[in-house]
Amino acid sequence: MINPKDAHVKPLPQPDADTEAFWAGLKDGRLLLQHCLECSHVQVYQQTRCRLCGSERLEHRAASGRGHVHSYSVVYRAPGPAFKQDTPYAVLLVELEEGPRMISSLVDGDPLAVDFDASVELVCDPVDARITLPRFRLTGRR
Amino acid sequence: MSLSKASIRRDSLRGKTAIVGAGLSAVGRVPGKSALGLAADAAYQAIADAGLQKSQIDGVLASHAFSAPFHRFSVALSEYLGIQPTFSNTLQVSGATAATMFNTAAAAIHGGLAETVLVVGGDSLLTGLSPDLALRSMTESRDQQYEMPFGIPVANTFAMTAHRHMKEFGTTSEQLAQVAVVHREHARRTPGAQMTEPLTVRQVLDSGWVTTPYHKLDCSLISDGGAAFIVTSAERAKSLGVAKPVYILGGGECYTHEHIFLMPSLTTTGAVQSSQRAYAMAGCSAKDIDVAGVYDCFTGTVIMMLEDLGFCPKGEGGRFVEDGQMTYGGSIPCNTHGGLLSFAHSGMPGSLFHFHEVVNQLRGRCGERQVPGAELGLVHSLGAGFATNATTILGTEATL
Repeated sequence: MINPKDAHVKPLPQPDADTEAFWAGLKDGRLLLQHCLECSHVQVYQQTRCRLCGSERLEHRAASGRGHVHSYSVVYRAPGPAFKQDTPYAVLLVELEEGPRMISSLVDGDPLAVDFDASVELVCDPVDARITLPRFRLTGRR
Repeated sequence: MSLSKASIRRDSLRGKTAIVGAGLSAVGRVPGKSALGLAADAAYQAIADAGLQKSQIDGVLASHAFSAPFHRFSVALSEYLGIQPTFSNTLQVSGATAATMFNTAAAAIHGGLAETVLVVGGDSLLTGLSPDLALRSMTESRDQQYEMPFGIPVANTFAMTAHRHMKEFGTTSEQLAQVAVVHREHARRTPGAQMTEPLTVRQVLDSGWVTTPYHKLDCSLISDGGAAFIVTSAERAKSLGVAKPVYILGGGECYTHEHIFLMPSLTTTGAVQSSQRAYAMAGCSAKDIDVAGVYDCFTGTVIMMLEDLGFCPKGEGGRFVEDGQMTYGGSIPCNTHGGLLSFAHSGMPGSLFHFHEVVNQLRGRCGERQVPGAELGLVHSLGAGFATNATTILGTEATL
């Protein structure tokens, strides 16, 4: 059953065996992408094998942090009370320079200024001693 | 999209099973009924409609219920109904669950696992959960590491697909709003529908943002309600002497991704593959379909599905709706009951309401909503930001 008290707390990632290094990297200011040494596929979503070829030969490399907005949606009605005070906020589907896409949200700017193809750059946003979220800001370039 | 013809067996389930009973609980705001209670109301109706006794049900397939604490809803419901089936499962592929239950029931019956399957769902999202918790229960279905920390409601995943569709194809907010208006017009003729006040495009556009490009009235309802069906073999349907059995002619599914950021294309979905597989099995194409139930969790979803199901070319869904093609007199009357947008949306059972309407259209039971000459119907269910897609094609005896 859902505990009503939980609805007021923002959910934070609980790093697991697949994602421990990813979240540790963010704490150090690096967004770690998995590069496949067999087929050169690049993935954000951390897994033990390359999603394309199944190889276990994956290497972490820090992303450039540059990307653009593939799509976005400005949230006015938050998913539960935990996000209510942040509205309106822009959820971004960012396409990284290296290829893969990821979900994030805008920091340091007007959510209404977001547009398709807008250039964005990574901002490592510390939430607590353990978790730093990969968020993005507009760079003013298109 | 390439269709693997080899994977569709000649000895498919086409016409091997039929829906012989349908039931619907009260929908909308239904206080005082649990998810099980709503499902049971619908189940007893469906059993009676088929002219059966509950003891003759040997299979139960149910959708998971948010408001009910049971891990095995189908098993809990069997107990509630006082039956002991020999085939049972609780399915959970979000909004696509409805069509997957029919596909699975047909396969189970065709394969000999069961003879008479109760396909059922019920949930109490409006009065069984507070609105915030209803939303919360939906947001918890998003990834807890990669999506939820950014405050992304399920609505947001669908919103980003519609937004991209607007960018790529010039789909307009007015066209999205028109989808809501069409659904409302349909619901106004449906007894028991949750929303029956007249609605205009202007009212949709003025209803306040939820998550861009969606306004409040671009979004489906939150409701209580349940629906149930009896599926059995075609031979048994005949021996039962059911007046108008509705045959399951084809089924197809496709699961393209789990996370919205791994969706291959934001504007072309797995509905292409799921429907192509269903059409191939049924031996028909989109232009042959007389009436459709198209999952309408959001207005833009309908526009994208009209394209991906083959009712209009890619990118033209907005104009297709504007031209009146998805209602009476158009090329494919859809969601003639009013859909999730105006009839009711109680979570996973929501798409069962589309089945209820299409089955009744094919049985000629829709009164003033009746689509003349409806023989071939399609229902498409989807969920989780288009992660899950399932299509079922239904037909009257004339289509066999």
